[in-house]
Amino acid sequence: MSTPADYLPILLQFIAALGFVVLTIGATHLLGPKRHTNVKNETFECGIESVGNARVPFSIKYFLVAILFVLFDVEVIFMYPWAVNFKSLGVRGLIEMFMFMSLLLLGFFYIIKKGALKWE
Amino acid sequence: MTQYFFYFLSFLAIFFAALVVLSKNPVHSVLYLILCFFSIAGHYILLNAQFLAAVHIIVYAGAIMVLFLFVLMLMNLNRDSEPPKSWQGKVAATLAAGLLLLVFTASIKGADALPSGNQPDNTVGLLTNLGKTLYNDFMLPFEVSSILFLVAMVGAVMIGKREEVSE
Amino acid sequence: MNQVLTAAPLSHYVLLSSILFSIGVLGVLFRRNAIIIFMCIELMLNAVNLLLAAFSVHHSDPSGQVFVFFIMAVAAAEVAVGLAILIMIYRNTGSINIETLSNIRH
Repeated sequence: MSTPADYLPILLQFIAALGFVVLTIGATHLLGPKRHTNVKNETFECGIESVGNARVPFSIKYFLVAILFVLFDVEVIFMYPWAVNFKSLGVRGLIEMFMFMSLLLLGFFYIIKKGALKWE
Repeated sequence: MTQYFFYFLSFLAIFFAALVVLSKNPVHSVLYLILCFFSIAGHYILLNAQFLAAVHIIVYAGAIMVLFLFVLMLMNLNRDSEPPKSWQGKVAATLAAGLLLLVFTASIKGADALPSGNQPDNTVGLLTNLGKTLYNDFMLPFEVSSILFLVAMVGAVMIGKREEVSE
Repeated sequence: MNQVLTAAPLSHYVLLSSILFSIGVLGVLFRRNAIIIFMCIELMLNAVNLLLAAFSVHHSDPSGQVFVFFIMAVAAAEVAVGLAILIMIYRNTGSINIETLSNIRH
């Protein structure tokens, strides 16, 4: 039997991780000497002078992969409850999951067929 | 002890949700929404719905918000893409949302007196129970959701795929 | 009060969910950036999820939490198709401001 109190160690770990980051960054910021010059404050890019800023739109080639990833990610969460109850659900559970997966595989074949995952 | 956690997490959730709406930079909005989702996952843990908490972080913070961030990065953020709205619009929006909240709060007066239907049971949020309910009582919605996924996949590919003919 | 809800009474969960939902509605009405509007819709869906989970625990009935899975599935499908549409609009018009999108009508 698990209760919310069992998650206290995870919370403590979160606090420890965050505290470590804050402490190290804060301490180096406070302890280190600060000597700002124009040359030092420039963005360093392998010795080449930097052009423009970082906020340029980047290539759209990946975005269909990202969108399909979200769909398959949500599909996978339906499999955890099934896997845990695999024995007690018996053959019926297996048939249910086969139907679910066959429709998804149909979608997957459509994606492959259309070449949506190909690098253009 | 858990009461304080509840109020702390509620404060965080509402605070970050408000920042999502109010921050000027869309990237900041996405990051605040992720923090808001994390505090909602904390609420799920307080409710003893642990699998839901894990799934919430995996799906929302892990996949959907990354997709949002990704789409934002594809767009040009240099230009001011959002001209300020007129003050009438702002007032109307705030008024409408405030009235909606008023209606909600007026309608929840009797919530605490609601009877709890079943025997109090601390294990409802556990993975085994959820699986039993999902694969016995909700068999049809489960299969229908796979059709939904299929349609979403086909739709996303149809819309998102650049046609070679038109180039 | 039910013994199962240890953290807070049910009405507080309802209040929290309605505040989050109202913030989502406010964002949809307030902002013009289509992506922010999408995010506010996600926020509204999450408010409903939280309420479903709270009621499920209150009633000691797992169905409510199973509904949350289905809402997540719908949210994922919505985000996938919606963002694909947004990217296509951005490719064609170069903007995701919803005021410019209303030009589609003409």
